[in-house]
Amino acid sequence: MSFNVERGETFGLLGPNGAGKTTTIKMLITLLLPTSGSASVLGLDVVTDVREVRRRIGYVFGGDRGLYDRLSGLDNLRYFAELYGVEPREQRRRIGALLELVGMTGREGERVEGYSRGMRQRLHIARGLLHDPDVVFLDEPSIGIDPVGARELRATIASLKDQGKTVLLTTHYMFEADELSDRIAVIRAGEIVAEGTPAELKRRVAIGRVLEVETYGVPEPVVSALAELSAVRSVAVEERDQFQVLVLQCDADSDVTQEVLARLSGVRVGRVGVREPTLEDAYVQLVTA
Amino acid sequence: MTNTRIFFVGGLMSFRAQFNWLNPWILVPALLVSPVAQILLFAYVGRAAGVGDDQFFLVGNALNYAAIPCMFAMTFAISGERWGQTLGLVLVTPARRLPLFLGRALPVIVTGWCVAVFGLAVGSLLLGVRMGATVWPGLVLAVCVTSLSCTGLGLVMGAACLRVRDGATLGNVVFLLLLVFCGTNVALEDLPSWMAAVGERLPLTHGIEAARQLASGATLGSVSDLLVRELAIGLGYAALGLATLGWMERDSRRRATLERM
Amino acid sequence: MRDRLRQLWLCYRLQLKILLISPFEGFLGIVFPLMFATATLMVYAVNGDEAAMAYAGLGAAVMGVWTSVTVSASTLLNRERFAGTLELLVAAPTPFSMVLMPITTAMATVGLVSVGITLVWNRLVFGVQLQIQNWLLFVLSVLAATVTIAMFGFLLSVVAVRYRTAWALGASLEYPGWLLCGFVVPIALLPVVLHPISYALAPTWAVEAMRIAAAGGNPWNELTVCLALGLGYAAFAAFLGVRLIDSARRNATLALT
Repeated sequence: MSFNVERGETFGLLGPNGAGKTTTIKMLITLLLPTSGSASVLGLDVVTDVREVRRRIGYVFGGDRGLYDRLSGLDNLRYFAELYGVEPREQRRRIGALLELVGMTGREGERVEGYSRGMRQRLHIARGLLHDPDVVFLDEPSIGIDPVGARELRATIASLKDQGKTVLLTTHYMFEADELSDRIAVIRAGEIVAEGTPAELKRRVAIGRVLEVETYGVPEPVVSALAELSAVRSVAVEERDQFQVLVLQCDADSDVTQEVLARLSGVRVGRVGVREPTLEDAYVQLVTA
Repeated sequence: MTNTRIFFVGGLMSFRAQFNWLNPWILVPALLVSPVAQILLFAYVGRAAGVGDDQFFLVGNALNYAAIPCMFAMTFAISGERWGQTLGLVLVTPARRLPLFLGRALPVIVTGWCVAVFGLAVGSLLLGVRMGATVWPGLVLAVCVTSLSCTGLGLVMGAACLRVRDGATLGNVVFLLLLVFCGTNVALEDLPSWMAAVGERLPLTHGIEAARQLASGATLGSVSDLLVRELAIGLGYAALGLATLGWMERDSRRRATLERM
Repeated sequence: MRDRLRQLWLCYRLQLKILLISPFEGFLGIVFPLMFATATLMVYAVNGDEAAMAYAGLGAAVMGVWTSVTVSASTLLNRERFAGTLELLVAAPTPFSMVLMPITTAMATVGLVSVGITLVWNRLVFGVQLQIQNWLLFVLSVLAATVTIAMFGFLLSVVAVRYRTAWALGASLEYPGWLLCGFVVPIALLPVVLHPISYALAPTWAVEAMRIAAAGGNPWNELTVCLALGLGYAAFAAFLGVRLIDSARRNATLALT
């Protein structure tokens, strides 16, 4: 697979579990050696210019591991600041600013073992930014965080972009990728299956709209019949508790609602709605096609 | 029949599941290298100090090390299950407690026995201690009795582990007590009297004494009272352990401490 | 250079902080060698030879340093891996050796506590008087023992990383080290085939230097050999460390738990 990320861009890497997102990131941050091909970060080769690459990138992964539980948050930051060779005077200023950024000022003296998952994640972000890296790699940063924390996290990531940093982000949350990324690549089994801005991806996959119909006990032949309508590209049935939702990907300028309802005569129908496709629709179609 | 199966099959399964001693990467260093190294360490200390003879330290330390699997295996079998949250699952089964826990003890006793016999054999080769072929049957029996009684102590510690969080530390401390108090390296009569009195009440002490006399050529008949006392002490600890387990089990049901980490 | 020293010092201090936070773990690290020292001195006490007791008492004091390093250094990388910090340490621009060395040095420093405790214990329980002719050289020798054992731990941590059950390896080095380094038994008593191993172990020379300094002699030769061996361990470990990290990067084994 091959892709480019421009300076100052936030680039999203999407794909199902095992698609190769983390492996890609780990090659770029010099934790893995590529078996073939090449990669460079800021024009530096990740195999030959290891030290220089490491100096200029930051790496943050999701989950609550990767911290020294027995040290305070502050000591964790000091430890890694030292390993990244941050000047002593710079260190103090930088740590203060980062604690402010991730909203942890006042709690930095406590031991990490007492931190909540969200706090650990925010500390991780601060750790990854200690040496003011030009490129930041975020590997599923919001995994396991509550909705409020995740929203704050998104705000923090958005602010990185404002500071002119290049961000490479992987996530399973489509709205997160949609909201944050300038461009997105969807990978499946180690290959890029689509690349573009979130809007482009939505358009490329389903230039059109999505019709959703709630039904109670729709028979299989009826579903097949719906798929044969000329303006309908695909039909998916999502099983809910008491009913099924038919998700029909339709051509943009068509209005098939009446036709569909006509074919559903004799089936009990609940709510009917038309909406624009989301990134998730695009994603699901890309990785299952 | 059910009890017999719980005893043998259940015991073996939990032994394998819980602590993997069968993995050679642990078995060889922990249960074969270390006991021989301990025997050599004290045999050379004895030589340097001009105290005792090689056989004295060989027998004392080989039997002392047999206590390691006996105590740790029981402790791990119980604390390991608590760690894996399976203790509750085991205890809610209707299986009788006695075969359940004794079944766990059997493979442990066999391991302890093997460790001590291996230590005796390799240690005697390395140190050049010559013991006649006629000595070995009695010695092997003494080792067997000693492993049994140490497992009794292990049962008590296993019960304690329903309450004490750090079973490994507890096991080490008890092992150190046995090292210092049981005449492992200093004959009981050379110990201060209060230490000797403690040693008299611990497993291992009489087993070591009997094994030493047997190694020097004494007949089985002449050490039988030592072996009986060793066995009695071991059974006493085993009874105490089972009683404590039963009490702890009821108590932890009442106070919900079973799954507490 | 100054930056490097600062980094080593801060890493050392923070790692020491981590180790000192759990007194319960430290308890066993001190008590275990102390009880073995006790058992050893009890054997020596049967004949009551004061010179022999003093000899063994000095060496027994260093047993704890050896224990605290071998037992914990062999699992060092596996623990970092388990905590998820191993990847972050490797991804940092600081050479990996410079990250590991302060950690094993902190472990050895914790062992220093047991030097003091053992000496006091020997005095109180066995009445072994500590008679030191040259305190400066004696303390220097104890520090040499600490530093070189730390370097041995550094080497051990790198060697043991592919060994999943490394704790068993570390624990099984404990007794042989006590014996081979001549802590409580003169090396001359050991079989001749073992002498080369003893002399290849830096602590052997450090303990010898301690005894010479205590007797008022000149231990500089022993100290020089000791430090040279320690440097050798560190160089070899650094070399292995680079190879190891490369292999882990090639085979994707850094993150595995």
